[in-house]
Formats: sequence, structure tokens, C-alpha cells
Amino acid sequence: MSPQAQHSARRPHPNSSRLRAPRPLAAAGALALAFSAVLATPLDPLTRQASAATGDKVLTVAVAQSVDSLSPFLATRLLSTSVQRLMYEYLTDYDPGDAHPVPGLATKWTASADKLTWTYTIRSDAKWSDGQKVTAQDAAWTFRKLMTDQAAATANGNFVTNFRSVTAPSPTQLVIELKKPQATMTALDVPIVPEHIWKDVPDFSKFNNDTKFPVVGDGPFVLTGYKADSYVRLRANKDFWRGAPKFDELVFRYYKDQDAAVAALRKGEVSFVAGAPALTPAQASSLDGQKNIRVNDAPGRRFYALATNPGARAKNGRKFGDGDPSLLDERVRHALFLAVDRKTIIDKVFQGHAVEGQGYIPPRFATYFWKPSAGQALGYDPAKAAHLLDQAGYRKNADGRRVGKDGRPLNYRVLCHATDPNDKAVGQYLREWWAKLGIGMTLDCLDNVTDPWLAGKYDLAFDGWSVNPDPDYVLSIHTCAALPATPKDTGPTDNFVCDRTYDDLYDRQLAEYDPAKRATVVKQLESRLYDLGYMNVMAYPNAVEAYRTDQIASIETMPEAAGNIYGQDGYWSWWSAVPADSAGSSGGGSTGIVVGVVAGVVVLAGAGVFLARRRRATADDRE
Amino acid sequence: MTAGATPPAPGAAEAGAPGAAGPRALAWRRRRASAVRFWRQYRTRRAGLAGLAALVLFALVALTAPLTVGSGVAGVTDAPGGPLEAPSGEFPLGTDRFGRDLLGLVVWGSRVSLLVGLLAAVLSVVIGAVVGVTAGHFRGVYATVLMRITDWFLVMPALVLAIALATVMSRSLGTVVLAIGVTSWPTTARLVRAQTLAVESRPYIERARALGGGHWHVMTRHVLPNVMPLVLAQTTLMISSSILAEATLAFLGLGDPTVISWGGLLQDAREAGAVSAGDWWYLLPPGIAIAVVALAFTLCGRAVEAVLDPRLGVTR
Repeated sequence: MSPQAQHSARRPHPNSSRLRAPRPLAAAGALALAFSAVLATPLDPLTRQASAATGDKVLTVAVAQSVDSLSPFLATRLLSTSVQRLMYEYLTDYDPGDAHPVPGLATKWTASADKLTWTYTIRSDAKWSDGQKVTAQDAAWTFRKLMTDQAAATANGNFVTNFRSVTAPSPTQLVIELKKPQATMTALDVPIVPEHIWKDVPDFSKFNNDTKFPVVGDGPFVLTGYKADSYVRLRANKDFWRGAPKFDELVFRYYKDQDAAVAALRKGEVSFVAGAPALTPAQASSLDGQKNIRVNDAPGRRFYALATNPGARAKNGRKFGDGDPSLLDERVRHALFLAVDRKTIIDKVFQGHAVEGQGYIPPRFATYFWKPSAGQALGYDPAKAAHLLDQAGYRKNADGRRVGKDGRPLNYRVLCHATDPNDKAVGQYLREWWAKLGIGMTLDCLDNVTDPWLAGKYDLAFDGWSVNPDPDYVLSIHTCAALPATPKDTGPTDNFVCDRTYDDLYDRQLAEYDPAKRATVVKQLESRLYDLGYMNVMAYPNAVEAYRTDQIASIETMPEAAGNIYGQDGYWSWWSAVPADSAGSSGGGSTGIVVGVVAGVVVLAGAGVFLARRRRATADDRE
Repeated sequence: MTAGATPPAPGAAEAGAPGAAGPRALAWRRRRASAVRFWRQYRTRRAGLAGLAALVLFALVALTAPLTVGSGVAGVTDAPGGPLEAPSGEFPLGTDRFGRDLLGLVVWGSRVSLLVGLLAAVLSVVIGAVVGVTAGHFRGVYATVLMRITDWFLVMPALVLAIALATVMSRSLGTVVLAIGVTSWPTTARLVRAQTLAVESRPYIERARALGGGHWHVMTRHVLPNVMPLVLAQTTLMISSSILAEATLAFLGLGDPTVISWGGLLQDAREAGAVSAGDWWYLLPPGIAIAVVALAFTLCGRAVEAVLDPRLGVTR
């Protein structure tokens, strides 16, 4: 990933081609996933009892995403990058109020007149959890690693492509020299790692930072335990320079089934439920107004889109994949756009827990939010869509299906995440809308969409990203530079878009230091992307999440007014969370066990009685 | 077994007088008589009759669904109600997450659930019968190898195997049928093989061989008719487990998400959060429908088994 825009649950991104699992393995993984579904909820790991015994205040968060990697150099998923925020301090943080850059590890920063030399003053009151001081040398080493080691650049490489050199003249001074101006210098979302620990790592593409606990860090929490698809456990860092967190322990517990997570919240086994990616409307309305539960329904930082395969290709010019050639025609793409009724999707699928999609960046980031002009907008207009398809040469045949010049009827495969109910629901609407146009559609819902996605073997796909206050990353994934080097490699590209005009605009915004001017260029960029018709942003889903007020007395949202709690651009929520008096009690867990045991006894007794009666009956019969 | 139409052989129809009937006509007459005898015994079993009545009802509902609810019930864009409405006069079983009428969906879903259940059961029993009869007939290395394969399938948890198959293949009805059929045949194969061994040890098989009957003749003319009752009973029992397996796979999200089936409805309900929201009308109807159909097939299967197997027949 990259900090600029973390992957949300929607599109699990691979770390690198080297790590791509062969198919059988992927199938086995899917199998394992399916299995955990059968087994439903994870049994209460002993974590809770153990910690409750010592009287610690534990904040348990139910999450539905699994961790891809705990290494800051590889992690791209929302959960993993959120954990990175907690483990490692960054140079700068985003203000929880309006997301302007505020001091993190760097207390202040200055740029030279030509804006090519940036000097950061590193704070001297920060310490690693093993007692060593955090110095500018750690930061310099981290950036240099990103610049020199291809494997280390997997997640955050986009920040350092412009860097000429990084030096640390003194323990409190970091100097970065640039080749070209770069607007993201105050928003370098790179976790700074301790050099004395990480210099011994042999292969950054394989090291997942989960071998030795506790993991040395300087963030508000220290990672103390991790079990794949089970939990991530963190302890409060009492020496954190901004102040110690109020909770003693923070546990992200994995729930494959969202209903199980909601049930756990009702019973008090977890303090917080982060939806996957949001609570469903039914869950939210059933939790709303319950005693001791608060539902937080806030504008999200994600967009939810339909991405078109523009013909997958690599930087070396080689084409691959099997995207439908008809999608290369802009008129066809626009027709597909015009046949999508976004308002219905908001009303029916999201049931109001989302905002209708327009431009690329969600309205929450007002500076960069753009919406199409009246003449440009591709609203719901099936008649115009039909007209465009006629123009493009795809006319209806006798069966009412659109056929190309080769006589083949149009039929698109839409890649959907089997784990996301919204994909399936929207997919059903798309199918009916497009069927009216005469276009066939197959919904391919997979547990692992990554393989066909990277291979370009799809026509359209459900897509979504969480956008950071600085939108550089989500913009960068549509540049030609993001394409994979060869068809065998993996690039940061989202869906293989490569457009010269877009690239020029991208370079201009990156080099523009004036915020207002940069925003103007970013909006032009969004306009260009909209016109290309490769990304149909259908909705900006709200963050719908819930927590127990008898366990969490208060917690900071971001932005402060109507903001989300889980998946923030920073550690504010978990760092600021204040425990309520009853927090951390282990009542829920043991109640569950008691209920389970009682139910088991009842079932066994019932079976016994039944068998006994049956036995008697057959005994009579035998006589 | 051959309870259906029994077209009389040409000879019998013209001959008129029973005494003049040829061997073919005699065979048909015998079959008709045994069918009547079968029905008479089956009729005495109340559970079997109840199962049969339920099945006829479900079959009627499924077959007439295009007339009663129509395929439009599955459409989401013109759904009549609001999402997750509680049961009311307009929607007797409430609505689903898209605002579709759940009663209509349950009726429409019966088509897929029954179809997949039947096809998967037939596939499974056909595989099982072929393996069982050939293994029982040929013996030797062939039978040993085949039976070890059967054993392997028998010890593999069928659900896991079916999930694996459904995962690697494209999501469609055919895949689900195949996944269930390919994983559930070993029991049938074992049963049929045992029966084949018993039949083949009878003297008349030896006589048929002596008269020049080949493998094919013996298997199709002598063994198969004798194992048919067993196969039939096994099929009936297998259907209920196939319907359950289909619902399980659909519930785990391994079916085609755009096809309406009972298991798929349960999966939709789970994903929409109906369980924690307490929207019982989304969960209960498809669940009850699955249970009732599976029960009906089991009752029928048990009754058929009891009628055809004299040893079971006396106890109840």
C-alpha cells in the first residue's frame, strides 16, 4: 500500500509477485476460509480471561479483515496499516480535526527556497520500546531502505521515487533532497522503523515482522502477539511521547461472520465492531437505540466503484489478460456508466448509509472533491446508453442481444468479492440494468479476486479504496508508471489504466506546492479519469460501526464532527479511547461458556430420553 | 419400483388370452403384479404416505411456479416492497433485502433446490451403482483398486471435498450438482457391491454363464434387476442429503449468487445481517422448506426400503 490510500477490505492486494500463491494453494486457502465459516465464530481465546485477571483495561475490536503482513514494508490492507500506525510513529500525523499535517516524529520542517531540500527536526523525547532513543538516523535508514531495496519499496515506494538522497547530519536532524518538487513532503505516510532491529533482516520481501514479540516500536501501542486469522494484540506504550493511551491493551479479534461479531458486541465480548467494510443496514438499525451501544454512522473515506479492464498491459508494452475488446471503445464504457442507477444503489443496497458517487475522491475531502459538470455527467439514462451502443456498432439482434461486428453477443464477466454482500447485491442490479440494454453479464464472486485481477482476466470488477487526506496515492495507481514491469510482475496499478494526459496532470499536481493550485490540478485529474470511463464511482459508503458505551466512555472520531473511528488516518481513536468503569470485565466470555455447557447438557439429555424411548418402543416390537 | 406406466409387450396385447402370452408378456405381467403388491404394502405405511403427499405438494409447487409467481419474482430492479419488511397482508412472509416477496422467492427457490437435489442424487447413485456392480462382478485386482478408491472417498469428509470442488470450478448449478454427486457415491457403491456379490453367488447366474451369458448379459439382465430395489431406495434417501448439501454449499456462498435457491436465501439473510437483526421471516421459511423436503424424501426412502427389504418389513 501505501499510506496514501489503504486498501480496504474490497481488494486484497498482493504484496509482490514473489509471494503470489499458486492456484492449488489459493484453493486450499479458500477452503480454509470456508471452513472457518462453518465453524462460525472463533472461540474466545484465553486472551481476555488472562488479561482481565490482572485488572487491565482491554479494548477488544472485532474485525473482519485478515492481516496480510505486519511488516511496514509490505502491509497494504486497512487493518494492517492501521496496526502500523499504532506500532510506529510517522514523521507527520494528520490533525484529527481537519487533517492538516501536525508534528509526529518531526517537530518542525522547513524547505529550501527551491523546495528541493527538506529539513526535518526530529523530536528528542521519543524512545523505542526497548529503551533506545529514536534518532534521525532511524528515519534516514528507513527511507534509504525504501530507495535501495526493491522488496522494501512494495508498500510505500511511491513516496521515495523523487528522492535524491536522505541524510541525518545529527540525531535530531533529517535532510531529504529531491530530484523534482514533491507536494507530499508533509504527508510522508511511512512508518519509521528502528535501524538497530531492522538492519539484520535478510529479505524484506519475506519478513513479516511476526517472529519475535514484543515488536520494538515507538507508537502509542506495542505489538505483543499475533495469530493469523485470530487476533492481533497490542499493549499500551506507557512512554509514548504524546501521552500513554488510557486502555492497557488493545486486541483486534478476527470474526469471519459479521453477525457473530454483532452478537459478541451485544453480549459485551467485544467493545467495538468495525464492519466489513461496514455494518449492514439491518444490523445498524437493530443496534441503534440499544442500551449501552452507540452506532457511529459517519461519512466514510472510501469510494466504491466499478473498474473497467482497459486491456491489461505491462510497462514493456506486452499485453496480457483477456479483457473484452469492446471495452476499449469509450462509447461502450460510457454506455455501461449510463445504465447504472446510482441513486437506486444508495437507496436499496446501502439504504441511505452512503453518498451517491460522483468524482473519484469522496466529498469528505472537500479540498479535492470534484463533481462532473451538468454536460459531462453520466447520469442514469438507458436511452442514451442504447444510442451510444448503436453508434459504437453494437446493435440488438433478433434475440434482443447486442452483438459486435464479429457477431458475438456482448457478455461481460464482473469480478466480485464473495466476502462482500454489497458486491453481490449491486451485481444483481447491474445484471438487470444491462440485460435491458441487451448486454449479458456473469457475476464471478470469488474469495480470492487477486489472481484473476493481476492477470487481467476480467472485464469489469468491483473496486474500492480508502482515500487519505493527501490523495497522491489513489491518484498514482492510475498512472502508466504504476503498471507492472512485465506481465509476470506486480505493479501498484489499480486496473491497468495508462493515459498520457492523466500522467501529465499527475506529475503537475505532485510538483505543485501551492495547495489551492494543486487542488485545481487534482480536480482536472479527476475530470479526466471520469471522462475516460474506466472508473465508475458508484457510492461513497459511510463508515457504519458500533461500540459499547459501558466499555468505552469516549473515543475520538476523525474528523471530529461526523467522522469514523476504525481505519482512521492515524492512531487518534484507539489512543484517545477512555475506558468506562466496567471495561475489561470478562463476564461475557464466561456467560457464553455457561450457556454453551447448559445447552449441551440439555441436548444430550434430550437425545438420551429420545433414545431410551425408542429403545423401549423397539423392545415392545421385538416381543 | 416400476410403478409407472407398464406398456404391455406387443404379443401380450394381441394374444388376449393369458395362457397364450409369450415370455416377454409374462415378464411384464409379473412386473405389474409386483408393482401393485409394492403399492399395497407401501400404502400401509403412514409415514411413507405422509412423505409422499408432501413430495407431491412440493413437486406441484415447483412445477407450477412459472404460472403462480413467475420468474419476475427474482428481479431486483422492480422489487415491489421495501427492504426487510415484516410479514403483512401484502407480503405474507415479508420481504428480503431487495424488497422482493419472500413467499414468491421460497416458491421459486424450490425449483433449484429440488432440481439440484434430484440431479445430484441421480448422478451419485449412477456412479455408485456402476462402481458397485462392476466391482462385485469382476472381482480381482480391478475390484480391489476400485474399492480402495471407494474407501478413500468414504473416509474423506464429503463436505470438505465438495467445497474444494465448488471452489476451483466456476460457480454454476452444474458445478454444485457435480460437486455433490462426485462426493456422495461411495456408500451406494459399497451397498450395491455387497448385493451384487450375494446375487452372483446364486446358482442361476452360474447357469446363465454356462449357457454362454457374457459379462454384459449377466450384469444387465441378472444383477442389475436384482440390485434395482436397493438402488431405488438409496436414491430416495440420497435426494434428501443432496438437497441439504446444496443448501449447505449455497449457504457457504459457493453457489451461483444470482440463482435463487433455499440455501442461497439463507446465505442472503446471513449477509444482510438478518440473524442479529432478528428478521426471522427471512430465515425461517427457506429453513423450514429445506427441513420438510428432506424429511419427506427420507420418509419415502425409509418406506420404500422397508417394503423392498423383507427383513426390515416385519419389524414395523
